[in-house]
Amino acid sequence: MRYTARDLAARARERLTSLQEFQLMVLTPDFDSRPIISFQHVWKTYPTGTEALRDVNLVVPEGDFLFLVGPSGAGKSTLVRLLIREEKPTKGKIFVEGVELGRMKRRKLPHYRRKIGLVFQDFKLLPNLTVYENVAFALRVHGEPDRLVQSRVAEAMDTVGLSGKEQTYPANLSGGEQQRVAIARALVHAPRFIIADEPTGNLDPATAWEIMQLFLRINARGATVVMATHNREIVDLLRRRVVAIDAGQIARDDRSGRYHDEVTKPQIRAQ
Amino acid sequence: MKLRNLKFALSSAWQSFWRNLAVSLAAVLSITLILILGGVNLLVGHTFSQVVDGFRLKVSEISINVADGTPLQTVYDFRDQLTADPRVATVTFITKEQALVDFKADPNNAVFATQISGNPLDAKLQVRVIDLKDVAAIDLLGRRWSGVDPVDPTNYQGDFVNRMLELSSWLGLAGVGLMAILVVVSVVIVMNTIRTAVYHRRKEIEVMKLVGATEWFVRGPFVIEGVMTGLIAASIALSLLVIAYQPMVDRFHTDLVFIPLSYDPSYITFLARDLLIGGALLGALGSYIGVRRFVRI
Ligand SMILES: Nc1ncnc2c1ncn2[C@@H]1O[C@H](COP(=O)(O)OP(=O)(O)O)[C@@H](O)[C@H]1O
Ligand SMILES: [Mg+2]
Repeated sequence: MRYTARDLAARARERLTSLQEFQLMVLTPDFDSRPIISFQHVWKTYPTGTEALRDVNLVVPEGDFLFLVGPSGAGKSTLVRLLIREEKPTKGKIFVEGVELGRMKRRKLPHYRRKIGLVFQDFKLLPNLTVYENVAFALRVHGEPDRLVQSRVAEAMDTVGLSGKEQTYPANLSGGEQQRVAIARALVHAPRFIIADEPTGNLDPATAWEIMQLFLRINARGATVVMATHNREIVDLLRRRVVAIDAGQIARDDRSGRYHDEVTKPQIRAQ
Repeated sequence: MKLRNLKFALSSAWQSFWRNLAVSLAAVLSITLILILGGVNLLVGHTFSQVVDGFRLKVSEISINVADGTPLQTVYDFRDQLTADPRVATVTFITKEQALVDFKADPNNAVFATQISGNPLDAKLQVRVIDLKDVAAIDLLGRRWSGVDPVDPTNYQGDFVNRMLELSSWLGLAGVGLMAILVVVSVVIVMNTIRTAVYHRRKEIEVMKLVGATEWFVRGPFVIEGVMTGLIAASIALSLLVIAYQPMVDRFHTDLVFIPLSYDPSYITFLARDLLIGGALLGALGSYIGVRRFVRI
């Protein structure tokens, strides 16, 4: 059973818990519609001279779930940093929802970032704030009123299954729980797309799998997900779109791919 | 800026101030010292300008002494000539008799007055000029006048006036120079304090930027913290200066009797305004510069 993005938007509020259910719930992105993200001949050379990305072309349709794989130093994080406009491309253009990031005014940048949900390997939670305040942080930064903050945070905490832990501090949570808080923070403002840079990198396999379920659920609700990862098991099991980067170049882009190229089966195993 | 954002900025500035209490207090203390220096500078400047203004008033009036036996008509003619002069404000004729009465009335001359017989004093024309720089010209006019007392023509002390004016302009320049140095030093101090605060909160700043905070949202709390530091320092400095102002003036007044120093309570309002605005601006500027590099998205 397959769904289009429009079907899913209608079912956005529906919650799926079991593995079987969300495996059914595979969002089929519409590759013919206008892409939400598009990289056009993007090069990135750092001031140190490192060529982190070389002639990257990538199209991400709305509702896509995309794994970015490749060995350490391949350029995955660089691609993520370009996407959130922490860095600008040296050459080429990046379009998000039809707007070229390189030409976006600095003044507009905060508003652009508010459309994105970001998740990192190291969670980036603020240790001196409670779980509630961490999740509410994005909304506070946007200057949202207290009542809206309260209901949105409660909803996000429910989604990640952490209701009741609001007054705890991040240090008292397990790694998996901390990442859930980070995901709640990424979700709380209902972003159009989620960008995650190795979100399961610091977690054990069982926890990683739980976190991954969360991302799938978020995607099933209609959000586009771009995730850089090293987690071979998960990538191989889910058989979603896989974009492999090697030495700054896109080596492979499979709609239903595996972590390693099936033909050559390279022995390199990224850490 | 939305009220909610202002609330957020205020509360996080307050937290940051207390979290780095040692650094914050060191900054408050340094800025207090600087503002005290600045305030003393203002007070000294004000007191001196009062003194100079007093002198100006005094030296802008000269007496042209009339030789005994000069016909009254000659004196009147000269008086009318002076009155018509555009540089002259007022001319008063003081007769010998009036001069003697005035002389005796001055308690400083009490001993002297009992010993004089007859009237050794000259009649005089007291001329007040509009602009101090014209005193010399009027003085020359008086000295060339036919009716002037050749022995003691005028009471004009050109040298003294010129030196006074020169001194006051040098003092003004030194005051401005000192102020400039104080401003630079205090901006650097605030800048470094805020850098420490920024360092403690670099993670928060990073997250803020990633979730879409505007630059002003990130900067706001730090600028407010800087302003807070400046205002606290200004209040302390102001209290100390207000307490010390009158005793100091009295003290110097007894030491330097020949300089008519005076305590001017009305100036305290201006001092308070200058110190508070100055402290707030220095704090804001220092923290703006201190945080600039870190808030760039
Ligand atoms: N800020 C930077 N300055 C200079 N070189 C960098 C910077 N960030 C990454 N690099 C280099 O760019 C290349 C790609 O890095 P990165 O995008 O982090 O790879 P990945 O996330 O795939 O491990 C590496 O060679 C890395 O050393
Ligand atoms: Mg990386």
